Amino acid sequence: MKVKVISRSADEFTKERSQDLQRVFRNFDPSIRTQEKAVEYVRAQNAAKLDKIFARPFVGAMEGHIDSISCMAKNPNHLTGIFSGSMDGEIRLWNLASRRTVCRFPGHKGAVQGLTVSTDGHVLVSCGTDSTIRLWGVPVSNLLEEDVSSDKSAEPRETYVWKNAFRSVDHQWNSDRFATGGAGVDIWNHNRSAPEQSYQWGTDTVVSVRFNPGEPDILATSASDRSIALYDLRMGKPTSKFIMRTRTNSICWNPMEPINFTAANEDSNCYSFDCRKFGEATCVHMDHVSAVMDIDYSPTGREFVTGSYDRTVMIFPYNAGHKREIYHTKRMQRVFCVKYSCDGSYVISGSDDTNLRLWKSKASEQLGVLLPREQKKHEYHEAVKNRYKHLPEVKRIVRHRHLPKPIYKAGKQIREQNESQRKKHEKRKAHSAPGSIVQEPLRKRKIIKVE
Amino acid sequence: MAQTKRKSRDGGGGDKAKGKRGKPGGKKQKGADARERKGPRLPNVLRKEVERLNPIEDEEIDSDEAEVYGRDFYEYEEELPEEEKRKNRRFDPVENLEYQLPEEFEDENVSSDDDDNDMGDAGEDEDEDEDDDDDDDDGRQGIARIPAFEGKKKRNTNVVVSEAYPESEYNPTRDTLDGEGPVNIEDLLNPLHGKSGYSKLRKRIHHLEKKSVPTPAPLPKADQEKLERMAAHEKSKEELQKWEPIIKRNREAPTIYFDDDMDLRSSRASDFKPRTEFEKKIASLVYDDQVKDAHLKDGSRLLELNKVSAEDERDRHNRMAKMRSLLFRHEMKSKHIKKIKSKTYHRLLKKDRVKATSVQSQMDPDTAKELAMKQEYERAKERMTLRHKGTSKWTKRIKERGIDVQDEGTRAAIAEQQHLHAQLTRKMNSMKDGSSSSSSDDSSDEDDIDVYSPGSDHARAVKLLEKAKEKTRNVLKDDDENEVPNSGVLSLPFMVRGLKKRNEAAAEEAKLALQEYESWSNPLEDSSGADNLNVGPPSGRMVFNGSKKNAPESSNKTKTGNKMRTDNYYANSDSEDDLEPEENVDVENDRSSDFHKDVNISTALLHEDSQNHKDSLFKNFGDIVQDPGPKTTHEVSIFASGSWKKIKSSNSADANGKKSTCRLESVERNQNLQEPVEDLDEDSDADSEGQMVDGILSSNPKDEYRLPSQAELIRQAFAADDVEDEFEKEKQEVLNEENPEPEKPTLLPGWGQWTHVQKKKGLPSWMQKEHEDAKKKREETLKKRKDAHLKRVIISEKLDKKAEKLFTKTLPYPFTSKEVFEQSIRMPLGPEFNPASAVGALNRPEVMKRPGVIIRPVEFEEVNPQGKVEDHKQIGKKQKKRNQSNKSRSSSDKIVTKVKTKLKS
Repeated sequence: MKVKVISRSADEFTKERSQDLQRVFRNFDPSIRTQEKAVEYVRAQNAAKLDKIFARPFVGAMEGHIDSISCMAKNPNHLTGIFSGSMDGEIRLWNLASRRTVCRFPGHKGAVQGLTVSTDGHVLVSCGTDSTIRLWGVPVSNLLEEDVSSDKSAEPRETYVWKNAFRSVDHQWNSDRFATGGAGVDIWNHNRSAPEQSYQWGTDTVVSVRFNPGEPDILATSASDRSIALYDLRMGKPTSKFIMRTRTNSICWNPMEPINFTAANEDSNCYSFDCRKFGEATCVHMDHVSAVMDIDYSPTGREFVTGSYDRTVMIFPYNAGHKREIYHTKRMQRVFCVKYSCDGSYVISGSDDTNLRLWKSKASEQLGVLLPREQKKHEYHEAVKNRYKHLPEVKRIVRHRHLPKPIYKAGKQIREQNESQRKKHEKRKAHSAPGSIVQEPLRKRKIIKVE
Repeated sequence: MAQTKRKSRDGGGGDKAKGKRGKPGGKKQKGADARERKGPRLPNVLRKEVERLNPIEDEEIDSDEAEVYGRDFYEYEEELPEEEKRKNRRFDPVENLEYQLPEEFEDENVSSDDDDNDMGDAGEDEDEDEDDDDDDDDGRQGIARIPAFEGKKKRNTNVVVSEAYPESEYNPTRDTLDGEGPVNIEDLLNPLHGKSGYSKLRKRIHHLEKKSVPTPAPLPKADQEKLERMAAHEKSKEELQKWEPIIKRNREAPTIYFDDDMDLRSSRASDFKPRTEFEKKIASLVYDDQVKDAHLKDGSRLLELNKVSAEDERDRHNRMAKMRSLLFRHEMKSKHIKKIKSKTYHRLLKKDRVKATSVQSQMDPDTAKELAMKQEYERAKERMTLRHKGTSKWTKRIKERGIDVQDEGTRAAIAEQQHLHAQLTRKMNSMKDGSSSSSSDDSSDEDDIDVYSPGSDHARAVKLLEKAKEKTRNVLKDDDENEVPNSGVLSLPFMVRGLKKRNEAAAEEAKLALQEYESWSNPLEDSSGADNLNVGPPSGRMVFNGSKKNAPESSNKTKTGNKMRTDNYYANSDSEDDLEPEENVDVENDRSSDFHKDVNISTALLHEDSQNHKDSLFKNFGDIVQDPGPKTTHEVSIFASGSWKKIKSSNSADANGKKSTCRLESVERNQNLQEPVEDLDEDSDADSEGQMVDGILSSNPKDEYRLPSQAELIRQAFAADDVEDEFEKEKQEVLNEENPEPEKPTLLPGWGQWTHVQKKKGLPSWMQKEHEDAKKKREETLKKRKDAHLKRVIISEKLDKKAEKLFTKTLPYPFTSKEVFEQSIRMPLGPEFNPASAVGALNRPEVMKRPGVIIRPVEFEEVNPQGKVEDHKQIGKKQKKRNQSNKSRSSSDKIVTKVKTKLKS
């Protein structure tokens, strides 16, 4: 007769150290655990609530500018360095860790409109309404020096004067070329005082210029004629262009998906496009109540941050129609520029009130070194929350945000307007011959013309 | 003239051709002619000149030579001979100019050098040949026989070109006048042939001639740019297409990893420069190339640890672990023991400890001495302090209150104290005497015996044997006295039989045991000599198994002993002795260690002894008031226990008897009760029979008796209860509950009733209207109900508000069916419900990144679009690898710094 014996190895039951946890053996048979779903649902609710409790997104403000901040640039090679340019022509380099000015770059006579840093992080390019482009050497900041002398100024390495004022500048990835937008699009080199190439398509001012970081020869611009255009430097030609109903203030490419970019529009929406087909947007991101001024993608390519004229900063998932997070403070005025930090865990906003503000990208994230168990716990909470996010109670808690009254009211009004328009349209449709009235989806509606 | 001239020219041409070939064979002339047309076509003037200059030159050229030298001259291919182009109508139109000879013919005579030229023709005319194949051979023969110059003759006959004036120097020939016409491109080209690039040029020209389109005017600039842009857009689109698989992979991956390992060397710390001596030393060590290399390759190589073999290390580790676990166990055990509050347990424990020490003392004299010293010290201390004399507050108080009033525990404690006092204050001599004289000391406190009188083993053994015998005898007597109960269950024959059997078996065992005792006691007596204790006389009946007298084997003994016990147990099976076996076992074990020196004494004896001891203890507790001192003798205790048992058993037997009688009585009663019932039944049966008979009798005259149908039967069966009506009522109730009827509008009494007018008016119209509306609404909702048309169904439309929270209103976005969604949230995620190996993968977030690590934009890599989605782990590994490669590429300019956590501040 065969006898089954319960066998247990001593290794599994001996603790090697007194601190070790006693190993627990469990029976994972679902039939003896009938309450598991209920338990996890409650945990999801609790996780959502905890997220709310621990939401402390504001890290700190950086003050020092004496006029509103018009543009910012992050150093792609240095995590703590961020440049900001203001309307009075001052450029500053900030250390995010100490939240102090590391260096000033005086020289511009008018407002600084564009800032960008080369990929190696050594050259800062600025341009402004005084029709000059200035190239600056980025000071190598040592830890010791940072503490001692927080303020020092630098001289421009080069100054190129050109015929027209500039509105924006962007550096090509892994190259020493940069593009400026103004009367037209100009491609410059670090070493030449005149543009390498110039493109002119239409007569209106180019408002923003962005190079594609994944495919560095492709360039997207938006102009004040409400158009968005693509240029290909290899072909030396503009490739395509489309015109929307309202102007696009800023463009940002998805760094992980070189075919996609998102445009921050005046009509308080953001539109994601596939640059191979311009007929329709792939996604419309709405929730702002006023013009979106700037946009920047997270380096993970999964989220982007927007700053708006409605005094809020929002974070959207790359494929979602509504915000994931909204940041606002009482003192923050119109936001003109936003940046996502190079490690994807902070957001910096620059606004009308002359301050830069540092936010966490996840409001309730725990900063500092996490123990493995803490890490696991956080992951579990996140997973559970994610699983039950569709259930009404969890959804409600996760989505709930306290908003400033004007923003709340404006949002409500916009929703009401949209709803009444929809109703009107439906009525019209119901009372006319079938097929005679066709509603275009929002993704297409905003695009007037594709060239 | 002209005619002849032409003729001669033609003929000359033909001659020339003939000569050129240098081959006879007039039959082939035609083909040869045709071939000749392939040759270069000089302008006629030149030709003439050439002919005139050296007419034989051509002829002299050997075929081979032509092949070798004049190859380039003949090699080019001219599409159409002049004749065929019909330029200037100089040649007659001929239907079949290039007449192809049949193949067989050619095969015979084709010269080697002509093959090349023929090939083209043969190819061209294959179609014709195929057509001809259908014809019979005669046709071919005929064709073959056609003379060579037939075609030319024909041409001559057909076209007659007449010159109006005689040919002379002043009269230019027709050719020169209009035949060649103005100079064309071909004329210019021809002299170039043989030069490099000629054929190309010619082809191009030909192409131009064929389709020449006027070049359109250039498009307006805007359109042109638009076209260019479109092309550029298409191109860049194509370029971007390559990213699709990468994007797809990243989007579909359950987790995307951005946490590449930090390269510490390239961090800002590398800017540090050593200043002091110490720093320099350290730096020279740290930045030593060898160290660096070793660190990069295998850091552990530098460590001393590697010299220890893995096995040794493992062994050491295991050993340490074992020690630790042992230590831990011990700790736990002692903790556990410390926690136990039972006094008995601690007493036993203490006893054990004392025993252990005693054993040790017996083993070596040093410890014995020490122990003795300790005892002495204790005694001295007791005498000095008189701690147990009963002078303490507690004892005084108890004595004041009276011991009788106290509970058993207290009494026992006091007794114990007194006993202890007596023991400790007793004079040494008297103590020794007591140990020899009073058996109570021996039995009750064996430890003392062991300690103080190790020499008296022999006597004790004898005594023990005696006791054992007595006990067995008692048991035997009991067996005899055990009368079979006259009534009750035990009086049943099979019970009686069973009892008898058991008793017999027990008696037998007892006898056996007795014999054994005797056999042991004899040698003991012999050895002792002086101590001749008289063994109790065995009764006559007890000796009937002489053959089993000698059973010296210890195993046997133990067996018998055990049996004894069981028998005993059986014997007093009715009493509460159930506990006894267990106790016995325990005590036996304890004792066995104690009695390790007297091996002769059987376990049975031991058992008996221990039992007795137990009993005596019990007795002590029981009679503590009457006999507080340690004077309880062993014998007494035995007898007491025996009698006690006996009484108990008898009592229980009585009780049993009573019980059984009771039961019997009840049974009888039952029977009595049943009898009348049976009677009744019988009566009723009889009655029913009678009725039946009546029924049959009565039904006889009616012939048409039909069995009622099923429906009828059911109706009859449920005639009384109106199910349908009840259900209707129920449904109405449910409906009213779910959609309550609107309340009737009423006015407050006295409200608005102070005039007659208002009284007459009644309720205000709006109230009535509201009521009407509510009624209507209710009716509508009732109509809309799912069970509105179902008469026999109630479908409740009451919603469970609490459960509502657990459902989504609509199907969430990425899911297309309810089942899929439900499936997706079916498996729990937590560590309580999943093995540890699976939890990590289940809970992994979508994006894995580390704070403080710069994430670079995507770089292109080849991805197999058909490749299936790999495991997360594999993807992670791959990505890590990729990142590492990236890093090595850009490690020079890569600077990674952590955002300090003090940011929080």
